[in-house]
Amino acid sequence: MTRVLRVMHSSIPAESGTRQPDANPLRSRREDRSRRVIAPAGHWRLAWQASNGSGGYSLLIDRRSFVAALLLTIALMAASLAYLAMGSSSLALGAVLPALVGRGDLMAVFLIQELRLPRLAAACLTGAAFGVAGCLMQTLARNRLATPGIIGIDNGATAFAVASVVGLGVSLAPPAMALVGATTAAALTFGLAAGGGTRGYRFIVAGIGVGAVFGAITQLLLAKVSIDIANAAYPWTVGTLNARPAGAVTLLAIGLAFGLIAALWLTRALSLMRFSDAVAAGLGLHVARRRWQVLSVSVLLTGLAVAVAGPVGLIGLIGPEIARSLSSSRGVPIMASALAGALVMVLADLAGRVLLSPIEIPVGIVTAVVGGPWLLWILLRPASRNLA
Amino acid sequence: MTRHELATRNLTLRYGRATIIDELALSLPAGQVTAIVGPNGCGKSTLLAGLARLHAPSQGAVLLDGNDIQQLPARELARRLALLPQEAIAPEGLTVAELVRFGRQPHQGWLRQWSSEDQQVVHRALAAADVDELADRSLDTLSGGQRQRAWIAMTIAQQTPLLLLDEPTSALDLGHQIEVFELVRRLATDGRTVVMVLHDLASACRYADHLLALRNGQLVAAGPPGDVVTTDLVRRLYDIDCTLIPDPATGSLLLANVRRVGR
Amino acid sequence: MDAVTFAGTPLARHLTLRLAGLLALLALVCLASLLWGAGDVGPARAWSVLMGQGDPEARFVVGSLRLPRTLIGLMVGVALGVAGALLQAVTRNPLAEPGLLGVSAGAAFAVALALVFGATATTMRVGVAQLGAMAGCLCVLGVARFSGAGNDPVRLVLAGAALTGLLLSLTSLLLLFDQRAADEIRFWIVGSLSGRRLDHLLSLLPSLLLAGVIVLAVARPLAALALGERVASGLGHRPGLIRLLVIVAVALLVGAATATAGPIVFIGLVVPFAARALAGPDIRRTLWLCLPLGPLMVITADIVSRLLVAPSELPLGVLTALCGAPVLVAVVRARRLPTL
Repeated sequence: MTRVLRVMHSSIPAESGTRQPDANPLRSRREDRSRRVIAPAGHWRLAWQASNGSGGYSLLIDRRSFVAALLLTIALMAASLAYLAMGSSSLALGAVLPALVGRGDLMAVFLIQELRLPRLAAACLTGAAFGVAGCLMQTLARNRLATPGIIGIDNGATAFAVASVVGLGVSLAPPAMALVGATTAAALTFGLAAGGGTRGYRFIVAGIGVGAVFGAITQLLLAKVSIDIANAAYPWTVGTLNARPAGAVTLLAIGLAFGLIAALWLTRALSLMRFSDAVAAGLGLHVARRRWQVLSVSVLLTGLAVAVAGPVGLIGLIGPEIARSLSSSRGVPIMASALAGALVMVLADLAGRVLLSPIEIPVGIVTAVVGGPWLLWILLRPASRNLA
Repeated sequence: MTRHELATRNLTLRYGRATIIDELALSLPAGQVTAIVGPNGCGKSTLLAGLARLHAPSQGAVLLDGNDIQQLPARELARRLALLPQEAIAPEGLTVAELVRFGRQPHQGWLRQWSSEDQQVVHRALAAADVDELADRSLDTLSGGQRQRAWIAMTIAQQTPLLLLDEPTSALDLGHQIEVFELVRRLATDGRTVVMVLHDLASACRYADHLLALRNGQLVAAGPPGDVVTTDLVRRLYDIDCTLIPDPATGSLLLANVRRVGR
Repeated sequence: MDAVTFAGTPLARHLTLRLAGLLALLALVCLASLLWGAGDVGPARAWSVLMGQGDPEARFVVGSLRLPRTLIGLMVGVALGVAGALLQAVTRNPLAEPGLLGVSAGAAFAVALALVFGATATTMRVGVAQLGAMAGCLCVLGVARFSGAGNDPVRLVLAGAALTGLLLSLTSLLLLFDQRAADEIRFWIVGSLSGRRLDHLLSLLPSLLLAGVIVLAVARPLAALALGERVASGLGHRPGLIRLLVIVAVALLVGAATATAGPIVFIGLVVPFAARALAGPDIRRTLWLCLPLGPLMVITADIVSRLLVAPSELPLGVLTALCGAPVLVAVVRARRLPTL
């Protein structure tokens, strides 16, 4: 696919036909190129001249990544429609759209507006947040397995959120506690890995250890309280969209908006981070500062998303995987990861609601059953490098 | 290209408690190729990292045109000084042209992502490193020498007057080594200051204008290879005895009859 | 000088001393396990039972609750500790651990599957769990072998973690189907020693004995395998056969332990780690020390789990994870990961 695109767009200017017959074809093409600015292969270039004559502005848009984002958007919209239509009582697709704007059957309007739409929004937001957080962490650690779910950040957020639900310690709301927990776990994992750097698998296993401790703490908290409270806190341990704390979704929406903007602002730094540190620094990247920023955004998004849906961390692995396989390898697919994460979350929750109806499978279990083999497959592949 | 002066003042570099480079004062001749040589663990790669600001000094400073490089913004430094580290890792699937385009990053911004100047510089860099024929090939498919030239093309695209190379030929066979060394010579002819860490003393004699010999973090000798390389220096650096003979064709020094001291 | 030998290896005197010390410690811990508990039978009342007196309630608590529990703790500890040491030796990987590599999760999944399909007998549980442990073991070692991750200790753990996550999710999924199985398995799945009877223990004995025989047979070749497959072949051993036997032994041990106490993680990591610290890298000595160390850790954790949140009880798996995970991190952080 890449190869075809590249051939199609590797721009041979039309006037190259008029070159001198005895001239070296390569050289004359090179000179033609130097006269006019041509977007590098596989990109669109948007350029406009500045009025103050300071040289003009130009933007490059990666065609393949753009198309990938477009496809994912369409797929997400289709999945959302299906999500709204399907469930314990199915609606015809024709009834969904009117109900969205409050027309049609009262029951349908209630079902859509009060039940399914908020849950859909939560699914999209958490999926996008996990997807972006995963993509950022993978780029930061230069390892596609280093997602917040695997290195224990999800578990940290969960443990703290559960502590808040069972009424232990500070009386902060779950989202705030989840953020504190995510930060604590990230600090622990990165602190413990400080000697060996974040490269390679040691860092990840240190994260697994941290995650195991927080998992045990969650169990401990649940064992200490009465069965009713434990049941109330149970969704936190598997990951579900069924019990969304009030206000957490709003907070997540705000956080995601901020996180997406920050991540897009960091795109160019992120594409340099895929090189080794020395190369990135040599190209003018302030490596330490940027790493902090990327880590903070990733932790923020993870914490807020866990506060809504619990530890559905494998989204952070699957989303960026899909995004990366669709987008070009030239850049870091932030938008595509957000869209793919949302798509997977919506589909997984839909499957969880529909497959065994009336029993609802928590979305965390659906993603684990789908994502586990995926993870094994990544490990099984004789990969020469960690991050594709 | 304007000439820039890189020098150090009482430079001390440490890893934890271990002092790797101890109060080093040196200056690198502008527009020439300088080779840093010395035995394993003498601190030559650390020195290069210090010169490129990858390693913050515990004392002293690295001066670029008289200014401490710690004070320079990262991008500003990247426009003046390019570095090719020893084990440069690139993302998988990157093509040569894409890699070289990354060299323009210090000159670009969010709203200035691809100008006609970028385009020209990238084309010139590809041609200068003789990789323009390989521009659309993926890095993974190249030979070691080709890959190294592609990386050097990236540093050329940075358009810096100073170029630091850490053992640019360490993993290459003899033919590929010559490819890279000749490219380095061409770059210096264009007026760049090139500093490279080298393993092999004979290559350093052949291709460098200026030699810095390090042992245990101290400067043992500095100057043109023909002047400073003596059997005595070789003994002090590597604990070996040898006979130095001039290359019949080029006159650069060769090590012959190498043996351990006292045998 | 060397009074005790184990599988042909003389034990140095200091090692014999350490072993004796550990056994004495284990005896003390077992006594404590009989004396203290979550209920209101305190140490004094329990002591009088041990002295041959005591009231009926105390007799019941000590004899029918705490004694089986302690004996099962002994058995589970020996099984998991030895299984961990074997697995680490055969993969030459200090991080290999039945819980981390998905062996315990395989056993748990098999048990859940059997329950959903209507099996009720606890005796059957052992065989099923052993089959599941076998499958989990083969699965993760297969992944490691085919991906070339076998040489990288840390990637093997990742593959195991992936497998564990997958199997535990599948187990939860199964339990969603079946409320009866869910009720039966809820406390077992987090790892616990409580509520086990003595006949449980008897049903485990045959497989433990078989595993013991295998261990005695493979101890010497395993020590040679530590020098590398080629060296072991050169010394006249057959690495393929040794590996298969070890996998069978691990499956027998882990299946038995899991069927009884649920999937308990990190015992198989911490115990051989401590044993190596005390006895050095030779697998024959490590195994010897794992015998007292395993139950020591399990029973201590069990006592703490009874007392920490009394009058309710903490799952044993929680405590082992709390002490095991830091050891995992410490091993990974060690500058040079020792290959075994």
